[in-house]
Amino acid sequence: MDELLAVFVQESREQLQALEAGLIALDRGEHDPDTLNGVFRAAHTIKGGAGVVECDFIVEFTHVVENTLDALRNGSRELSPPLIAALLQCSDHLSDLLDLLEQSATPDAECLARGQQRLANLGNPTTPTPTPTAAATPPVAANSDRHWHISVRFGLDTLRHGMDPVSFLHYLEEMGEIVGLATIYDQLPALAEYDPEGCYLGFEIDYASTADKASIERVFDFVRDDCLLHIIPPDSKVDDFIHLIEQLPETPPRIGEILVQVGALTEKELQQALHTQSQLPHDDDHPAPKVGEILVEHHHVPPQLVEAAAGKQGKLQAGQNHTLRIQADKLDKLIDLVGELVIAGASARLLAREIGQTRLSRVTQIMSRLVEEIRDSALELRMVQIGETFNRFHRVVRDLSHELNKEVELNISGAETELDKSVVEKISDPLMHLVRNAIDHGIESPEQRLAAGKPARGKIGFNAYHDSGSIVIEVRDDGAGVNRQKVLKRAIERGLVSANQSLSDTEILNLLLEPGFSTADKVSNVSGRGVGMDVVKRNIQSLRGRIDMESVEGQGSRFMIRLPLTLAIIDGFHVAIAASTYILPLDSVVRCLEFKDAASDRDYLDFGGEALPFVRLRDLFRIDAPMPPRQNVIVVQYAGQKAGLVVDQLLGESQTVIKPLSSMFQHMRGIGGATILGSGEVALILDVQALVQLAATRETDSLSVQREPAVNQPA
Amino acid sequence: MAKTASSSTPAASSASSQYLLFLLGGEPFGIDIAHVKEIIEYGQLTEIPMTPDFIRGVINLRGSVVPVIDLAARFGRPPAKIVRHTCIVIVEVSHGEGERQDIGVVVDSVSEVREITTDDIESAPTFGTRIRTDFIAGMARISQRFVILLNADRVLSTDEIAELAALSVKDEAN
Repeated sequence: MDELLAVFVQESREQLQALEAGLIALDRGEHDPDTLNGVFRAAHTIKGGAGVVECDFIVEFTHVVENTLDALRNGSRELSPPLIAALLQCSDHLSDLLDLLEQSATPDAECLARGQQRLANLGNPTTPTPTPTAAATPPVAANSDRHWHISVRFGLDTLRHGMDPVSFLHYLEEMGEIVGLATIYDQLPALAEYDPEGCYLGFEIDYASTADKASIERVFDFVRDDCLLHIIPPDSKVDDFIHLIEQLPETPPRIGEILVQVGALTEKELQQALHTQSQLPHDDDHPAPKVGEILVEHHHVPPQLVEAAAGKQGKLQAGQNHTLRIQADKLDKLIDLVGELVIAGASARLLAREIGQTRLSRVTQIMSRLVEEIRDSALELRMVQIGETFNRFHRVVRDLSHELNKEVELNISGAETELDKSVVEKISDPLMHLVRNAIDHGIESPEQRLAAGKPARGKIGFNAYHDSGSIVIEVRDDGAGVNRQKVLKRAIERGLVSANQSLSDTEILNLLLEPGFSTADKVSNVSGRGVGMDVVKRNIQSLRGRIDMESVEGQGSRFMIRLPLTLAIIDGFHVAIAASTYILPLDSVVRCLEFKDAASDRDYLDFGGEALPFVRLRDLFRIDAPMPPRQNVIVVQYAGQKAGLVVDQLLGESQTVIKPLSSMFQHMRGIGGATILGSGEVALILDVQALVQLAATRETDSLSVQREPAVNQPA
Repeated sequence: MAKTASSSTPAASSASSQYLLFLLGGEPFGIDIAHVKEIIEYGQLTEIPMTPDFIRGVINLRGSVVPVIDLAARFGRPPAKIVRHTCIVIVEVSHGEGERQDIGVVVDSVSEVREITTDDIESAPTFGTRIRTDFIAGMARISQRFVILLNADRVLSTDEIAELAALSVKDEAN
């Protein structure tokens, strides 16, 4: 797929999202003209772009949708829920069409029929629906005598912006017939000054079409900002052409010649025009009077004027110019390189320390500080707000609640919270499962809710915030909550736990996340096939995250997903046990203490009056090397809880590039990843939370084994 | 049509592949050279706690972290002893939907690369090799001796290893 097409597909997907978001907002009763305009603009942009990339099937389809939206906009049609539903379906269809385009395919008969059906659902009675053939053929003879004159000079950067001047001609051909055309290349400079990437072209076009001026102007939407465009309506007076001649950069006789050549003017008219023009007073203070005041042409106004006149909108556009679209893989490459740079920097520092040269050490220190800044800036480039992901769920909630005859609203907070793009991409599926589950199993029917003394309309809430180096995403509902007895009964039936096992509340809730578990009484096609929640858990774990659940029966449930901010580079705290180096995420470290009573068999210590449990990593990892004279405890914190980790040596902090571990370690808990040290050795990154939990489970298990020997609790 | 014809005639005598032969606990084994990416010296291995014995650890292979498997332990034999010629064969296995992954394999020594025709390869006996039959792609007769040709994708199946690793974590818990 060529680059222009790729850009079109991606931009259209974004427009489609905007379109859908607008429709959903309208559906919620936000009848704001801006929203409707936004929806229209989105459809229009897609159509325009499709014209540029010459994708007829999208142009044709979007054209009808656009007509409907236009009718809504000018008030000739009323918005209604069925119409919104039909428009949403059209938006789905467009998404399918974009998929096809991406695969360089064309819609098959079935897809076309589906499209036609969806368009028919829009019920455009008055608008003449252009069928594929109608759009492609020139207008009938009766109209073809309406000759427009289009004069266009493309901006120097047109080609650089990925536009092909010829594609505009193709697009014009779809709405009418190009009767005459002259290519203007007078701007072409001498070879020495010629910029091979510049565009020096212009066209004078005699155009027969029934389209209105706005539609013709729209053809040039993509280059409008930097091209000189004049459109003279049919049956205009000669004066208009005089005005045009004045506006164009070429000399009047030359342009007059062209106009005659194209067929816009006759020889006689030209003579008359040139004569009139020469009689007009010309001086710097009083330029030629605006002969064609009646002209509805598009002036090319200097940018500063646009900004002044359009005020806010001008600023908005200026802001847009400051953003740059970059291919994700280029960014990934940069992050990879920065990662390598961090590692190389670490080995340089190590070497400098070994050599003991102060000046060299100083230089490497400055370098590592710079590398750190580069790392932070590079990672920031990949940060995106989670709001966009959240907003997509308005549609899901709307469709599902309709399907299940429930009333549900979606509340979003923390939409501006940023996280790594690679995480955002992978979080969508788990969120989808959670939302489907919440609507299907959580939220009750309006009748049940009223009977329980709750408002008929259920609520699902998304929230996101940062918490000590992680991002927390919450999905909560005010539905029925979890019935512990039912969960336990089902778990026993499925053999997940034994009947005589006593489980804590959290353990019971965690059963919901086990494979093959479903509490819904009946299997619906929304959720409840018993796959889903365990997939959610697995997906989140593969992102080095975790999911927790809280639920109050009768009041609702809350899922908390905790994810690392980035998957690439962290600040690490290096520690050693015997000869091995391990790394803890620095933001989980609270304090370091000397481990005093190593001989004690208790696994807690007095931490400022708090009984702090600790894990002896040497034992957990089964390292049988001789104990060093001094051991250290690192106090770590996660999700508000504290624990200690006992290690031999503290090596200090350093940047850590996370290297993924093979998928063969996917079920492993306690190890979050690996990194490569300055010495070239691989060191493991510890997952603090999982480690402490692992130690806790082991202790609980060994105690419960003493109590009931038959326990085999899934880890 | 052509595909069925060629695959249904095992006696297509021209078919042959190259195999890397190596020794493991004194016994010769072979692996299709198409899977082998490189052979490196044994060294600088980082052990991973709480994993089964046959996972030796991970190494830094030019910036990537690559797991290293002890084949002997994987076959249920005692772990390989590190000797003078011990090396790590980097093998590429397919994993899931078209994904490929590098895995290091500890061997006592590599012997040679040899062309073996399909005629010289027999199927494995149902038992007697003391190695799971699905690990064996075939038995080649080379100079009066049988060489077990390994099925790399099965022996080094990351999914299976991951499950075993998960089990070992649980076992340690009890």
